[in-house]
Amino acid sequence: MSSTKSTLTLGQRSKLFMQKSPARMAFLIALVLYAITVMISPGSLNASAIGSIVMLTLLLSIASAGQTIVLIGGGMDFGVGAVMSSAAILTTTIMNSQDGRFFPLLFAALAMGATVGLLNGICTVKIGLPPLIVTMAISNVITRMQYVLTQGSPMGYASPSFIKSVTSKLFGLQFLPSIILYGLIIIPLVFYLLNHSRFGKQVYLLGNNPVAARLNGVNINRIQILTYVFSGMFAAFAGMLGAAYMNAARCQIFDEYAYNSLIAVIIGGTSFSGGVGTYTGSIAGSLVMVVLSNLLTAMGLAQPTRNVFMGLIMIVLLIFYNREKKVRQ
Amino acid sequence: MIDTLKNSFTRLRRSSFFAGFVLFIIALVLNAALQGPASFFSVKSINTLFAKNAAFILVAIGQSLLLIAGTMDVSCGIQLALVNVVTIMTHQVWGIPFALSCLLGIGAAVLASIAVWVCCSVFRLPALLASYAMTYVIRGVNVMIMSVPQGKVPKEWYMAYDSQLFGLIPVSFFAVLGVLLICRFARKTPFGSHIYAVGGNPRNAFAAGISPVKVQLKAFLLKGVIVGIAGLCLTLMIAAGNPLQAEDYGIRSLSACILGGLGFGGWGSVASAVFGSGFFVLIQNSVYYFFSLLVRLIPGFSVSSYWQNFVSDVIIFLGLLMTIVTAKGRQEVLREGIVRQFKRIDYRKSPKESEGKEVTTHE
Amino acid sequence: MFELRGVDKRFDAVVALNNASLSVEPGEVHALLGSNGSGKSTMIKILAGLVNPNAGEILIDGNPVEIRNGYDSRKLGIATAFQDLSLIPTMSVRDNILLGNEPRNALGFVDQKASDEIINRLLERFQIDCDPDDYVQTLMPSTQTMLEVAKAVALKPRLLLLDEVTAALHYDEIQVLFSVMRELKEEGIAMVYVTHRMNEVFEVCDRTTIMRSGESVITGPMDDFSLDDIVYYMTGQRPDKSKKDVVHMHSDEGREIVLDVKNLSIFPKVHDISLRAHKGEIVGIGGLQGQGQPELIRAILGAIRYEEGEIIYDGEPSTLKSPSKAVKNGMGFISGERNREAIFPARTVLENILAGKVAKGKTFAYMPAKANRAFAQRAVDKYNIVIGSLNHPASSLSGGNQQKLVVARWIAMQPKLLLLDDPTRGVDIHSRLEIHEILKECANEGMTILISSSESEELLSLCDVIYVFYEGCVSAQLTGENKTPEKLVAAMMGMSEDQEIVSTMEAKA
Repeated sequence: MSSTKSTLTLGQRSKLFMQKSPARMAFLIALVLYAITVMISPGSLNASAIGSIVMLTLLLSIASAGQTIVLIGGGMDFGVGAVMSSAAILTTTIMNSQDGRFFPLLFAALAMGATVGLLNGICTVKIGLPPLIVTMAISNVITRMQYVLTQGSPMGYASPSFIKSVTSKLFGLQFLPSIILYGLIIIPLVFYLLNHSRFGKQVYLLGNNPVAARLNGVNINRIQILTYVFSGMFAAFAGMLGAAYMNAARCQIFDEYAYNSLIAVIIGGTSFSGGVGTYTGSIAGSLVMVVLSNLLTAMGLAQPTRNVFMGLIMIVLLIFYNREKKVRQ
Repeated sequence: MIDTLKNSFTRLRRSSFFAGFVLFIIALVLNAALQGPASFFSVKSINTLFAKNAAFILVAIGQSLLLIAGTMDVSCGIQLALVNVVTIMTHQVWGIPFALSCLLGIGAAVLASIAVWVCCSVFRLPALLASYAMTYVIRGVNVMIMSVPQGKVPKEWYMAYDSQLFGLIPVSFFAVLGVLLICRFARKTPFGSHIYAVGGNPRNAFAAGISPVKVQLKAFLLKGVIVGIAGLCLTLMIAAGNPLQAEDYGIRSLSACILGGLGFGGWGSVASAVFGSGFFVLIQNSVYYFFSLLVRLIPGFSVSSYWQNFVSDVIIFLGLLMTIVTAKGRQEVLREGIVRQFKRIDYRKSPKESEGKEVTTHE
Repeated sequence: MFELRGVDKRFDAVVALNNASLSVEPGEVHALLGSNGSGKSTMIKILAGLVNPNAGEILIDGNPVEIRNGYDSRKLGIATAFQDLSLIPTMSVRDNILLGNEPRNALGFVDQKASDEIINRLLERFQIDCDPDDYVQTLMPSTQTMLEVAKAVALKPRLLLLDEVTAALHYDEIQVLFSVMRELKEEGIAMVYVTHRMNEVFEVCDRTTIMRSGESVITGPMDDFSLDDIVYYMTGQRPDKSKKDVVHMHSDEGREIVLDVKNLSIFPKVHDISLRAHKGEIVGIGGLQGQGQPELIRAILGAIRYEEGEIIYDGEPSTLKSPSKAVKNGMGFISGERNREAIFPARTVLENILAGKVAKGKTFAYMPAKANRAFAQRAVDKYNIVIGSLNHPASSLSGGNQQKLVVARWIAMQPKLLLLDDPTRGVDIHSRLEIHEILKECANEGMTILISSSESEELLSLCDVIYVFYEGCVSAQLTGENKTPEKLVAAMMGMSEDQEIVSTMEAKA
């Protein structure tokens, strides 16, 4: 940051700031959006509202953990939403309001996520289809499976203790939902994977320049498949937590997380073409998405206007972050 | 005679839409067998098939143009609903002739296309995300125009849409045919090759004096008109208005194109879109008949429509995996091209190096 | 007359052009010379409309003009054949040549008859043997280059820019090109010719402009310059013939054979090649560009498959199916195609140096940040890499330092066999010498090195044995006394009538 010269104009400086530290920029945007929310409706400045922002942000952050890894590795996972929904249905079905079934559930959900991820990975890598299309087709299949297996209306609820472990307030503080505890496991895990393990370093190399990574001795097929497997597992875990948050599940309940996680990750500064990005950024991006949606609610807009706003703001954010290079230099 | 047949088969085999074509034929045979050929090839059944699915096929054709130009638009689906609500509401509220409303509907699709073009080409945003964001915008606009499903289409219009010309050819077929003819003509103009250049390599196209932004604008405009026509087909089909329908057409048309053998940017042809979307349509139809056959054959067998959807999506996924055949075909084209080159060089040069030929026999 | 005056261009922090000028008269072939990275290609790209200069003006017949894009460039009568080609591989030869210049009929459709005529005339003029309906990606690199030139000539330009087009061409193709250039000269067309091959410059060029680090140093008639003069203006130093580096020399008697390649064929580029590398030996592969050298090296690395033959590595028949296995077995690969195959531009210097270490070992193992930094810092210090900070992106380094980075990445791993594919391409002379020193040192310590290069001096000064490739075959194997520039160049051009070389080759085989 110190290299910023004083001769730069404000616009250039802010552009530089944004390029250098998109995560900080995203936090800043979230802060501004939140400030606007409070100005419009001062009532929204209360502990439980903040608690719900924390809850939803963590949920989206965990869902987009895998998406971050996949995007950095040069792929894209559109199955996040479908996997989340399926895991949520698994949760309510397996738990069926009874305690003591957490570990079988965890095993089943992660196995499901890993299988879907493996399928995604193998089909993109070995068959060479665009990741967008493959992950979409596979997520269609699992979505249909949700309907087939549940006859369209999933039964059961998450177990009371599991619900409590996600939604109760730490130290009785309204703004500290206990999902934070899960976050404390997942977030460091993702940081370890991306920043401190050999795997993460290989993912960055792969995403930045696959040809060079391959010639350099990185087993790119294996790494790419692994990114999808992780994505599936993180999405499945997020789906479990989501089920606890929502209590019950229905088919396609979390489908919009497919796009939302993608956009959160992009807002966090991860490049669409791979090789660049941080998980901090994705968390910040998730915060922006949640605060933005809160703001639109606070503005009391009708649903259609809200949609239009949401779309336009997404476009503006994309313009800030992810413009491709000009043909002419 | 046999040789020419063989030749044209080789040409077909090497074409980019071969996998899509094969899948399409398989689905066609399957559908005819399950439904019973007599029933399937009846005028009525073909008419229903076309009338119901012309919109989807058209959207896939529009999408294929964008894919060739190296971009895409996943908001195509919701644009159909936009055409639908604009057409219905302008006719209902302003009381203008329905034909004029139809034109306004097409205009709305073109405008939406231009908006997506601005995001994707002018602002150079990733097309997938930008057009997804546009889905939100258009969805909002749709509901602003028409808050709840309502309205109707003049009877003579939807009756006309559902009829057959000469008692044989469905009217909806002409919509598809017309659009295909437009694409065919466009291919023969300079635009027809510029679009491939821009999709294949924008920098080199730029160096050749072609403006990628302008070519993509043309592609988006053409796509807008096609989606407009598709929207009208949909409107005449359902003969009512619904602001939130057909949204999944955007993404499904993308899958259909890829399944038909199109690549992202500069590779493939509109035929891929036709076969790909045809496969989608016929598979859904076949699965329906398959299950009704089961119900008839096995007493007491009953199954929800969820199973039908599941089975057809699994088949579509398997179909996508089939595109590996297309990739193989493309590799073969490359390889044979190189072999051909080598033979020429060997021919010119000393016989010493003609061992290149033998090498080719090894896989 | 075409003129560029006082042109500046910066790419972020890198100065590509600094007050550069160029003027070309009708009917002359103007050589634009300079070492790699001196700004020649940037000049060409400005005229072609691909690069927007920061300052300076372009004049045509004395009138200032603006070139904002490829269309403007074409309209002003400028046509360009690019070094990295501007053909679209997924399109046919016909569509490529006519791209942006299609003959139309009254209805606005492409006129098939007229276009056939144009294509056939052009292919005949350039003696290109291909079907107009072939996809460009199915053509040989040399044919593609000829098409690139043909496409530019088809525009009937007033100014023709040829950016290093002969690099991939065969001898007879170059002769065809020169005869076309002479015809064009007669027609009064101005031409700018960029090349690294000095003999060509003296053969076809009338005047020259020499560039050094973004500045145009001197302009004058070709006859005024000797080869030494040109080198002087390009580098700023007189070539010093007395000073010779100590050649790394030793006999391979009794040494263990690390790599033994037997009768290798890789379709379509390599036919029946055999070569051998001993422990601690530097083996060179010479030849013009595109004679199968990259394919051979990649086949050894396991990156591409081969049809016939055998590769014996470390005493055992190699069954390496992928570079990752090769790296695990102690190979290292340094590519001269820096941007495409070696550098991770968006990643930091640290990560780029670590890339070798990252590729080897357990996937989920912890990589301690401190040890990594120390490892990278050692490499940076030892190999004199000029960096801002270990945390800056690799793209912030100069080309030479980027290449040293790649070399350091692998040397630090101490591979048993190091493969280098034209490692000093586009590297400044200073960095190049440093890389040479590093390699010699490593060989003395017992590393086996297989290096392919298009620069004869590099091979002659570095290697114990040189295999010269021509059209996918070994045209000569030079050792000891035979390692002379003359023999090397003759073998590179495929002139193997030199019986002595051939006989030594046969004796060895």
